[in-house]
Amino acid sequence: MASIMNAGGLPSDQPGYSFSNASAPSESSGPRQHAFNPYTDNGGSTLGVTGADFAILAGDTRSTSGYNINTRYAPKLFRIGDDGDSSSRIVLSVVGFAADGNALKERLDAIVKMYKYQHGKPMSVKACAQRLSTILYQKRFFPYYVHAILGGLDDDGKGALYSYDPVGSYEREQCRAAGAAASLIMPFLDNQVNYKNQYIPASGTGHELQPRAIESLPKEDVIGLVKDAFTSATERHIEVGDGLQMLIITKDGIEEIYTPLKRD
Amino acid sequence: MNHYPQAWGRPRDDVYGPYDNSYFQASAPQTHTQSPAVTGTSVLGVKFKDGVVIAADNLASYGSLARFTDVKRLRTFPPNTVIGFGGDVSDMQYLDRLLQSLDIRENYLSSYGHVLNAKNLHTYLSKVLYKRRSDFNPLWNMLLVAGLDDDDKPFLASADLLGTTFSSPTLATGFGAHLAQPLLRKLMPHDEDSVKDVTKEMAVEAIKACMKVLFYRDARSLDKYSIAVVTKDGVELKEDQKLEDQSWAFADQIRGYGTQVN
Amino acid sequence: MFIARSEYDRGINTFSPEGRLFQVEYSLEAIKLGSTAIGVATSHGVLLGVEKRVTSPLLVSSSIEKIVEIDRHIGCAMSGLQADARSMIEHARVESQNHAFNFNERLRVESCTQAICDLALRFGEGAQGEESIMSRPFGVALLIAGWDEDNGPQLYHAEPSGTFYRYDAKAIGSGSEGAQAELQSEYHRSLTLEEAETLVLKTLKQVMEEKLDSKNVQLASVTKEKGFQIYGDEQMATVVARLEGD
Repeated sequence: MASIMNAGGLPSDQPGYSFSNASAPSESSGPRQHAFNPYTDNGGSTLGVTGADFAILAGDTRSTSGYNINTRYAPKLFRIGDDGDSSSRIVLSVVGFAADGNALKERLDAIVKMYKYQHGKPMSVKACAQRLSTILYQKRFFPYYVHAILGGLDDDGKGALYSYDPVGSYEREQCRAAGAAASLIMPFLDNQVNYKNQYIPASGTGHELQPRAIESLPKEDVIGLVKDAFTSATERHIEVGDGLQMLIITKDGIEEIYTPLKRD
Repeated sequence: MNHYPQAWGRPRDDVYGPYDNSYFQASAPQTHTQSPAVTGTSVLGVKFKDGVVIAADNLASYGSLARFTDVKRLRTFPPNTVIGFGGDVSDMQYLDRLLQSLDIRENYLSSYGHVLNAKNLHTYLSKVLYKRRSDFNPLWNMLLVAGLDDDDKPFLASADLLGTTFSSPTLATGFGAHLAQPLLRKLMPHDEDSVKDVTKEMAVEAIKACMKVLFYRDARSLDKYSIAVVTKDGVELKEDQKLEDQSWAFADQIRGYGTQVN
Repeated sequence: MFIARSEYDRGINTFSPEGRLFQVEYSLEAIKLGSTAIGVATSHGVLLGVEKRVTSPLLVSSSIEKIVEIDRHIGCAMSGLQADARSMIEHARVESQNHAFNFNERLRVESCTQAICDLALRFGEGAQGEESIMSRPFGVALLIAGWDEDNGPQLYHAEPSGTFYRYDAKAIGSGSEGAQAELQSEYHRSLTLEEAETLVLKTLKQVMEEKLDSKNVQLASVTKEKGFQIYGDEQMATVVARLEGD
């Protein structure tokens, strides 16, 4: 009789969940395996900024393995589809795992060159940006471990910058920092390029306070900002330093500037 | 890359926590190299104004056991390339076979003799290594490739089991990255711009000094080594070189060293 | 002794001693049996027109599909073995969608034509004995009309031999000889799209065996604004009426 009475009730004083309350075993019972780790981080940082008629991409030239400096000059910036007649106006920067970065660069470069043969015109930055996204996404289950930034000039001659995550999500932006010191440089760029947290003094109180209007910066000012960003990142991040490579894309071509950074 | 080949290609301890060494004992069926077995230690390389000097010792270790003491870890590729291998010795032998068949094929196809320079070989090897790491079947090596580029200028570059590549006027793998690289960099205060001021003698001297430091401080090293000088005129390879002017005077005072008993 | 032709037109990939590929040449003949198709490129857009051979009063004429869309900005008219055209058009559609997916832009009309022609010589077995996808050359020619960002309105003619050319105006099919002569004398660069409609229908009318009406011809246009558009029954009726009014 008691068993019938208890049948509909709770078997214990525990709350009756409809799902198993047992915690998952902390270790799986299968054979323990440790796979080879196919990735490493080679440090360094990159950034890109656009203006009305130019785009600047920059990256430090240090390559690291842990606390070691592999070399003081390993460029992270690459001209894409450059066949010597200077019709190419696309620059790719990659930071993260350098071997993947190189493989990605070579694939995109080959595709952009083939495109010109197949379609009889140089590839636009917009088209290249989409293609880079599909390349990265097609390897989403074994990703290229890099943060890519693609820069150039759009069809209207304006500076164009696209930034990516390792599996191909991308968006066009005014400026972007990536890599080891991205968290140090990006807030600086937000403040100095997009004037975040800058207000016109005495323009109002509380929400009436007027933000400083965004303007497109002249090239010389941006070069100054980029140098400042990297000298500062070099001070605070051990994986950043040795040299700064800048590629400046304008309608006249791609200009390269190299400036030394601290080597400590 | 540090001096401990077992740690190559594994998550960094300081980032991912200490590595669980019990995995080494796993007897699960494995078809891919998950860890190196017989390994070679550092390889050193320095550019000078006319070429490159490269060296590696003769030891192949099995863990902490000094297993083979006459292994030549510098391989020449005609006419003027030398490749120095660190890491797994069997993978080194596989790569050597690969290079030999490549040499035969290239010579058969070309009526102009040797066509592949050090830069070509470095690109080739780094793609082999990157392909193998992408197949999760790595060749557990770190290589230095020394020789000349397309313009007959000194070429020195490294490639590792992940396919990572870089080039520098001075390079050192394994323990050498910690102990030799800082000493070698003193030769090149202005990096690539300093190469023209370094003579062959200076480069050889620096390499020999570093080999000695490594023999003193790297437990998996030997005082017998190969050293090669690559120039436009070809490769001058010396094998079974003995480290000179070793100083063990301090050892008299320390129990357990040298000929002391008790 | 055999005549030379019968010895060298069996192997599909075999040149005759005179350097001819007979099977490819015969495939060009197949097109001359096909219904007439005409394309005219103007600065406002490209016009395509075909005759539909309504062989029986019981045949539903709207089921004859000789002008098809490849992408929003490219269309094509065919003459010859229609079934062969299906696989070519399928290929072109995939190629066009792939391009848009990968590059976020429209495929060029020339690139589309090239993609179609890449298929043309995939007959016979390969040199290393690989299996091929086709046993014979295509028996169909295409007029590919399109508009792209770089070159505006364009008309291409693609043959089973894999060659293609760009035309201002081109006729293919059984009535092509007469039609091409007519186009040559009537075409001029300042043609409007409306004038092109009339020109295409007038030319078709001359070479068709049946009497032209709004059911046995089909028009389509490719313009910058509206892309590829097949003319509906009402539009066809209007254009045909305009022709009869002249």
